[in-house]
Amino acid sequence: MKRLAALLALAWCVVNLVVAYWMVTGAFLAKTAQHEGIVAQASLLLGGLLVAVFTGLLARLSLRILAAPDEATGA
Amino acid sequence: MRGLVGVLLALVATAVTGVLVLNIVGQSGVAQPWDSELNDDFIFVRALPLVLGLGVAYGLIGGWVWTRSTARRADGAVRRFSGATVLLHMLITVGFVLALPTGLWQYMGGILDVQGPLPVFMYYRIHYIGAAIILASVAAFITYWWMTGDRSLLLPLGEWRRYLRGFALELPPMLRARLASLLRIDLGQPAGSSGAFTFYEKTFMFPGWSVAIALITVTGLVKLLRYAVPIPGTIVFVVSTLHVTAMVMLILLTLDHLRYYLSRWPLVVAIFTGWLPPRRTQPRSAPEGASAASGGGD
Repeated sequence: MKRLAALLALAWCVVNLVVAYWMVTGAFLAKTAQHEGIVAQASLLLGGLLVAVFTGLLARLSLRILAAPDEATGA
Repeated sequence: MRGLVGVLLALVATAVTGVLVLNIVGQSGVAQPWDSELNDDFIFVRALPLVLGLGVAYGLIGGWVWTRSTARRADGAVRRFSGATVLLHMLITVGFVLALPTGLWQYMGGILDVQGPLPVFMYYRIHYIGAAIILASVAAFITYWWMTGDRSLLLPLGEWRRYLRGFALELPPMLRARLASLLRIDLGQPAGSSGAFTFYEKTFMFPGWSVAIALITVTGLVKLLRYAVPIPGTIVFVVSTLHVTAMVMLILLTLDHLRYYLSRWPLVVAIFTGWLPPRRTQPRSAPEGASAASGGGD
């Protein structure tokens, strides 16, 4: 069960990495600069980087659970 | 017996609300000349009182069925959540699974100028269904907590310093030191007990989710109502920006939520069963005395 949860979490991480990529690249699009302005660009960049960091933390934990389920989940 | 009656009442309330919402859908399909997207917007606005009413009904039923029960089972398991909380947590999760990706796509699809596999109005439709489920769940949670008088997730008034200290002590050493220095927290003092939930849950997680859900709900409602009530463009722009900000907060909170609980498996078991397993009732990095000693969450 723990490994299944970890696999689902990893799938969630993949989706969120795509989101982070979209946000970071979206921050540098000419259209964003023209239509949304610098504040939106900064927000997209910051939001994308934060999503990437939080995704990285969850992915690291998920991989640990896959390797050693009981040790990584405190049970 | 009470549980069975409760389930039946909930099913009847859901069916009645469903019929009334379908009636609104039927009326708008015949009478309105607008496109599908705007049509859905109006259906959602008109269905809101019914959705909130259904949430209140769920909360009342939950409070009636699940009165405060034994905090510790004979095998040593400790009650962390009531059946109502378990069910409502599942319900709100379904709402987020529907509303979050569709809301994200509405925004990112526009930024990236990409057409997804579905017509645009379908993203909005799924988003509104998810939002309706979240609104019903929030109304249910508030009603349920009001009815049972449970405040175990709230910080006691006047104990902010102690809770911040406990929160800092649960963080990794590097973050702990920085936070302590920033907020001038004396880590030498003991934090004491946090009650049924950890300092992290009470100081960061529950307030974070509350703020993000409140923000996305209020801004979402203003965005919805702009078609029915004249709202200045500047306000719509600010509100839309805050709606997206709340969306990003929810993405981050979801990732943190999963990370926090997956590393404390007994708490994952508890959100599905209501009980902390007997073998390890003390979750990892929970403060001294939390959970096992206090028991009786919501």
